[in-house]
Amino acid sequence: MMMDATILFQIAGIGIITALIHTVLKQVGKEDIAQFVSLVGFIIVLVIVIHHLNDLFQQIKSIFLLQGM
Amino acid sequence: MKIIGALIFIMMTTWIGYDWSLQLQKRTKQLRSLIYSLQLMEAEMGYTYAPLQKVFSSVHEKTTEPVSYFYKYLQQALTESVSDFSEVWEHALEKLLKQSALKQEEAAILSQFGKNLGNHTFLQQEKHIHLTMHHLKEILNNATDEQHKYERMAKSLGVLAGIFIVLLLY
Repeated sequence: MMMDATILFQIAGIGIITALIHTVLKQVGKEDIAQFVSLVGFIIVLVIVIHHLNDLFQQIKSIFLLQGM
Repeated sequence: MKIIGALIFIMMTTWIGYDWSLQLQKRTKQLRSLIYSLQLMEAEMGYTYAPLQKVFSSVHEKTTEPVSYFYKYLQQALTESVSDFSEVWEHALEKLLKQSALKQEEAAILSQFGKNLGNHTFLQQEKHIHLTMHHLKEILNNATDEQHKYERMAKSLGVLAGIFIVLLLY
């Protein structure tokens, strides 16, 4: 249960920091790099989420005894 | 233990960001001192008609750190007999580039200037000095713009990148 909370905070932190970097870069007129940073942040979060979704599906599989399939 | 490591990491990236912004500041400062040194050289040439070595030594005494090293090196190089002055100048420029925050742009202008130094009458020499100063002032303007633009970005980006990576690895 504790691990769930940290993962939430981690993703929230990454989101906030990415947004900050985006605004800083946009202020000095580097829009392209700002977009790129946002994209990278998004992909990183996506990878984390997919990793944990994978865990979830494995658990569902094991609960319904579908290991063999 | 983890937290200490994270703090050290953030401090390090913050320092890198500050160093970057300091580099931008230094460049404008050094460009100003370079322009000033050219003015000094012009005055020295105009009023004393001294040989280059003496001009360099008096400019060296009146300028600030990285630029003054440049003139000191030139002055020392000229104590021995020199067959090709522009070669000495190029060598001094390379050293200056390593010691200072100056970039290739102004080095190219200065190397052009070095090829003409000492080969002309004072009037022509004065024109070359003015031309070089004009170019350097243009670069200085660009550098000040860049400094204002990127100084704060460099600082905040250092801190933010540190926190970002720490969060990723947490």
